Amino acid sequence: MSARDVVRLAATQHDFQQYLFDAVGDIAPQIRPGGRIPVDKRLGIYHNAYRVRLVDTLRDTYEKTWAYLGDALFDPCALAFVEAHPPVHRSLRDYGATLPDTLAERFPGDPDIAELARMDWLLRQAFDGPDAVALPLETLASLSSDDWETLGFAFVPTLALSPLRFNTPAIWSALDRSEAPPTAAPLPAPAALCVWRRGWQPHFRSVDETEWAALGRLRDGARFADVCQALNDTCADASTLIAWYLRSWLTDGLVAGITNADA
Amino acid sequence: MKKPSPGFGLGLRPDHYADFMAGPQPVDWLELISENYMVPGGKPLAMIDAIRVDYPVALHGVSLSIGSTDPLDRDYLARLKQLARRVEPLWVSDHLCWTGVAGKNSHDLLPLPYSEEALRLVVAHVRQVQDLLGERMLLENVSSYLEFTDSVMPEWTFLRAVAEEADCLLLLDVNNVYVSSVNHGFDPREYLRHLPAERIQQIHLAGHSDHGDYIVDTHDHPVCDAVWALYREACLQFGEVAAMIERDDHIPSLTELIAELDQARAIAGAAARSGRAVA
Repeated sequence: MSARDVVRLAATQHDFQQYLFDAVGDIAPQIRPGGRIPVDKRLGIYHNAYRVRLVDTLRDTYEKTWAYLGDALFDPCALAFVEAHPPVHRSLRDYGATLPDTLAERFPGDPDIAELARMDWLLRQAFDGPDAVALPLETLASLSSDDWETLGFAFVPTLALSPLRFNTPAIWSALDRSEAPPTAAPLPAPAALCVWRRGWQPHFRSVDETEWAALGRLRDGARFADVCQALNDTCADASTLIAWYLRSWLTDGLVAGITNADA
Repeated sequence: MKKPSPGFGLGLRPDHYADFMAGPQPVDWLELISENYMVPGGKPLAMIDAIRVDYPVALHGVSLSIGSTDPLDRDYLARLKQLARRVEPLWVSDHLCWTGVAGKNSHDLLPLPYSEEALRLVVAHVRQVQDLLGERMLLENVSSYLEFTDSVMPEWTFLRAVAEEADCLLLLDVNNVYVSSVNHGFDPREYLRHLPAERIQQIHLAGHSDHGDYIVDTHDHPVCDAVWALYREACLQFGEVAAMIERDDHIPSLTELIAELDQARAIAGAAARSGRAVA
């Protein structure tokens, strides 16, 4: 069946979809009049349902951001987002990835809002992101000193790092407990939010700039020895620090495997 | 032609994962919303892997968009087939509708004009899906709130024609027939009378919201008396058909849903005893 065979139906579907998106167009004359309710009301049911469904989806995906802003502030933003971003994916799971950017534009004086939204999004993505088996800490004991010269680490695929400028994890956690969130406050030093899933449960913690850099380089494929060297150039007690990082990454379930080891 | 009925089921919702993990439930089979499990990993897939051991499952999609003038989405179909390989479903169903065009997806089940042109398109698409899945799919009638001037036949004629020409099976949503009958002013029993009994593989039951001059298929209420009455008609006409209750909002306890399912069992049982079943 080619597009040529369905010209009339294609035109109707384009008109209907155009109406759904912005309530204008030529669809009304194509709707059969009569019956219990008028044509504009019939069309309005679809126009409204489209928006309600997508705003509800954004409320669900950005649950803490919704709670932080309240209906009165969140819903108009969500609706504006829906008007500007018709869905293109088959699953609602994928809808709304750029809502944090919309929030950043809408609340330029309150960047904590967009940051909280990014955290909501990353946690939701981690929830049903790819599975992986975390590497047990004991594995390290079997490595030779030669291995340590060349090895790198593979991380669980749900691992995400996102810049953190505010006390967003504390705000998120308070909202998760249905408590009043603390006042948004800038962090004294640059940091990142680290999100991953362990078992079925998404996890997060904040990491400081040094750990962020080490984790980020390793995730990008750097050799552990090179990351240690870089750390040595900037930190006083680098070997203690990297040993502590590595232990926490493994015990927290961030590491999925060892790469490039000779053995 | 159709498979034997697995009995009485429920739509599996995350609210009830723990109940199904805790122990056996008096539910014969479960229906999964396909898209909710077309995900990379995590808890949803782990839950269905575990629950699938004890319950047959059917896959029910909402995004196939079989009536869209866009080509079928190959990536979506590949992921659907991958999920089907994983859960080995009783069958795979989706809706007689379109959800978007020009690469967009409204996530709503939009009605089609019941025209010859639309019939050709849907039949061609159903055949493509069935070729890919390697078996017959089920098409479900949707609730609708408007009709197109281009329609040249009633929905039941269209649905029957699709099923017979594409050789697919049907998922009869009794609530949707009722909702559309109120919104468009037809006799819902007339709808049932025109359907091919031998192709009705599954029945959906659900609740709706009454807005006074029209009703909306919201799946947020118990099944109402008028829909139970229509279900009884369906049982008399179509015989033993796999039936299940869908609830997507204001989701009650599993115990409450099972009590509602018992009502379906009772109605189907009484209809079977009355001896008028034809299938």
